[in-house]
Amino acid sequence: MLTAAALAAGAARGRLDSVVNAMLSGAREGVTAALAMAGGFAFFCGWIGVLRRAGAVTLLARAGRRPLRRLLGPGLTEDALEPVAVNLAANMLGLGNAATPFGMEAARRMAAGDAAGNALCLFLVINSSSVQLLPATVIALRAAAGSADPGGIALPALIATALSTLVGIVSCKIAERLS
Amino acid sequence: MSWALPAMILACLAAGVWRRVPVYDAFLEGAKEGLATARNILPALIAMLCAVRGFEASGLTEDLCRLCAPALRALRLPEETLPLMLLRPVSGSASLAALRAVLDQCGPDSRAGLVASVMMGSSETVFYTCGVYLSAAGVKKSRHTVPCALLAWLAGSIAAGLLVP
Repeated sequence: MLTAAALAAGAARGRLDSVVNAMLSGAREGVTAALAMAGGFAFFCGWIGVLRRAGAVTLLARAGRRPLRRLLGPGLTEDALEPVAVNLAANMLGLGNAATPFGMEAARRMAAGDAAGNALCLFLVINSSSVQLLPATVIALRAAAGSADPGGIALPALIATALSTLVGIVSCKIAERLS
Repeated sequence: MSWALPAMILACLAAGVWRRVPVYDAFLEGAKEGLATARNILPALIAMLCAVRGFEASGLTEDLCRLCAPALRALRLPEETLPLMLLRPVSGSASLAALRAVLDQCGPDSRAGLVASVMMGSSETVFYTCGVYLSAAGVKKSRHTVPCALLAWLAGSIAAGLLVP
């Protein structure tokens, strides 16, 4: 869609050549970018791997059980509690790949019928508003770009994501009342 | 805050040693996953950068930025972060590419670079996350899920502009 718009606009302004050239150099840029990032990714994901083996996920999941039961209410069935807690804990640590299967399992167990219940809606909103405590990927990217302080955004990012999650939860609770 | 990174690494190391984890093995395991991520996003990164660069060369970016400039200025959001903000809920790899573009163009420690970094971390790929979990649950009506998630994304983006001095 973006490409079509670019080609159309390029043709309309007689800049078609430069548009195609820019696309090709963009493709080359993609390869170098991925290579430059790979090192940083591996480095930070390596440390996260150590954290995971140290049992950080189970620890966080155990701590989250009670507040989760209160937050999600009766729609959170007892058998869904475990995958929900593990999913959110893994997401907090930035283990998106590890979190997804648990999230799917949780969603499956919370589902009842055709429409999503209040608990499932809230779970999805929390999940898509991001609860990551440490944005390792972003820090890796910043390091690759030659930042003097790659980790400096950790605190503002934490505040921003806490704020967005809060807005998600509050708007969900309001929407529940309205429907 | 240049102590933040060393402190985090030290914390990981300490947690590993404390729980008697084979730190080196665990690190390699995680690093492998990191490399897999880099490999997985490569095709999308190429496609995205092609499209974005072509879009820029055609002059459409400037038009779009000019259109949104007043609203962005009011929210103290640099206009370079607009592509990232719009792509964030739609595609994870595309927004990663957009973040990289900002970091390269403006520098990672410029205000635009900082705002973009915070923005990236403040939300997930809303449509992807909701899509995957809803289809896993076999649910057809998502009710207020997507509007509320988008509201959260908007709040996160605005917060990014306000939090960076």
